[in-house]
Amino acid sequence: MSDAPARDAPLIAVEDLRVYFPSGNKRETVKAVDGVSFTVAAGETFGVIGESGSGKSTLGRALVGLVRPTGGRVLHDGEDPFALGARDFARHRRDFLIVFQDPSAALDPRMTIGHSIREPLDVADETPRSERDARVLHLLDRVGLDAEFARRYPHELSGGQKQRVNIARALALDPRLIVCDEIVAALDVSIQADLLNLLAELQRELGLTYVVITHDLGVVAHIADRIAVMYLGKLVELGPASRLMEAPLHPYTRALLSSEPVPLPSVLRTGTKIVLQGEIPSPIDPPSGCRFRTRCWLAAGRCAEVEPEWRELEPNRFVACHFAKAAEDPESAR
Amino acid sequence: MSGGATQMPGEPLLDVSGLNVFLGRGASEVQVISDLSFAIWPGETVGMVGESGCGKTVTGLSLVALLPADASRITGRISLEGKDLTRLSRREMQRIRGRRIAMIFQEPMSALDPVFTIGRQITETIQAHFPVGAREARERAIEALAAVGIPLPARRYDEYPHQLSGGMRQRAMIAIALSCEPRLLIADEPTTALDVTVQSQIIDLLLEMTRRSGTALLFITHDLGVVAETCSRVLTIYAGELIEDAGIDDLLARPLHPYTSGLLRSIPRLSAPKSLLPSIPGRVPSLLNRPSGCRFAGRCAHAAPECAAPQVLQDEAGRRVRCCRHGELRLPGAVA
Repeated sequence: MSDAPARDAPLIAVEDLRVYFPSGNKRETVKAVDGVSFTVAAGETFGVIGESGSGKSTLGRALVGLVRPTGGRVLHDGEDPFALGARDFARHRRDFLIVFQDPSAALDPRMTIGHSIREPLDVADETPRSERDARVLHLLDRVGLDAEFARRYPHELSGGQKQRVNIARALALDPRLIVCDEIVAALDVSIQADLLNLLAELQRELGLTYVVITHDLGVVAHIADRIAVMYLGKLVELGPASRLMEAPLHPYTRALLSSEPVPLPSVLRTGTKIVLQGEIPSPIDPPSGCRFRTRCWLAAGRCAEVEPEWRELEPNRFVACHFAKAAEDPESAR
Repeated sequence: MSGGATQMPGEPLLDVSGLNVFLGRGASEVQVISDLSFAIWPGETVGMVGESGCGKTVTGLSLVALLPADASRITGRISLEGKDLTRLSRREMQRIRGRRIAMIFQEPMSALDPVFTIGRQITETIQAHFPVGAREARERAIEALAAVGIPLPARRYDEYPHQLSGGMRQRAMIAIALSCEPRLLIADEPTTALDVTVQSQIIDLLLEMTRRSGTALLFITHDLGVVAETCSRVLTIYAGELIEDAGIDDLLARPLHPYTSGLLRSIPRLSAPKSLLPSIPGRVPSLLNRPSGCRFAGRCAHAAPECAAPQVLQDEAGRRVRCCRHGELRLPGAVA
């Protein structure tokens, strides 16, 4: 399936991806990602939003080949990394990287920052040492850190600075795709703003492709070209960021947008909040039919019986809801 | 009374005046909070915002006297219902904490004791403050769990914290904190670890529960969106000082301090086009290296020579602000 027909071959094509894990007692299966399809074009910023337990982090890991799909596949530039031999796979995965939320976890506390950034170059072992050191300084500069940071240790850096180091480290091998898994979630807003600006600047200069995974709607609205909304292992909606934010098609997207607290004076706040009942159900035993139905105010008998089809309701806008049209009508939205 | 320009009828419930908090011992002692003064009136909902490391949590902990006694020192007054909490003995404070003033935290898992059932932790609080028997305490606890929207409260009563989801644990924390109907609840980032849909549920619950019992709320958060939807007044803290105190709508429309304006503008918006986000350059100055003048000057786009002098909190049309240039600046708020 292609949701960006106007573009060339996508950089990432996800085809009916499934990632299952055995649960604690091995008799049960957690279906973290359960039949997801989409494509990401080169140079695009693709946002994935969802709550904890939606499977978005597992999806992120699968996108860069850190977990093997249980079913379906992820194609990188038309190629399935898991079909490659070990050596080709190692070479290939440099182009598709992931940066995680916790900026400290990814840095070795006993290594200087310079050493941490140089490590991927050392592993690749393709350039002389002097060139690698020069490259480290260049990368530090690129992410807005002074050259003197090369001699420091992680504990001397703030969270925002560490996250810049992680980005520099990811850039070391000139990747094509960076998956950003909640990389600004632990930071204060002003630091977060700096980092989002840096990501945008790097994309302009280097032509990077991003998949931004976050629970923060403001972040994804600000940075993404297209947004996919994930719920309990499945996509419920996918579309251009501005359209999705203005006129969400799926009731879950509506609820997410409506529960985002906005810093506006009371007179400027519009509409009534949709407060969803309950919490996200267990991915071991998801509800039948539509997985969102247990928390959905529009749910009817059909929703328990028939799983809603993933359909293109408007050009480039996909949704999985029996009532997607109805949800767009303000009258029916409570 | 130190409540400054904010005028409310009657006596304040909490009146903090000239509060200084020092952490550490002897030569390594550092001042974390400087000359903090504010008041909260009965039933009022007040937000406290600022970046990490500005002293929000330390302020909350000092109000409930939960800072480590051997590694902290407090000067100034914390007056709750006319009683100065800084002069109370440990024993006297124990009678007040939980009963008149309570606090809940960001991570309910670390605030709940993993080896006791949820029910036991509520009855413990109730029996510490009321002369009731085991049976009545149990009934009250189950009622409290039901009141915070925990399904099957009688069953949950016998469960342990790890058996509850993050949202349910925060509900249990609220049940414990409000079981003795305190007059003031301090909520320190109570929804930060929760998903946005669960966050709305918990915020609604907190507001409804405190309204019902007439409990005042001090809501500590870094999220100005949350404050906008919950609080009528906001205290902005920067580097251990109160720098602005204003009604929420006034603050959002026209912040008087450049730091508050910067915070408001750096929040990414749902409707914002893809443009550069205005950020605040630099970082909060370290505790050991706070400037003698305006503590924000090093990061401020409006810094002028007069900012090198220590800044005083000035009254300004029902608000307070610690910036000598506030009269000449027109700063953008949440509405451009």
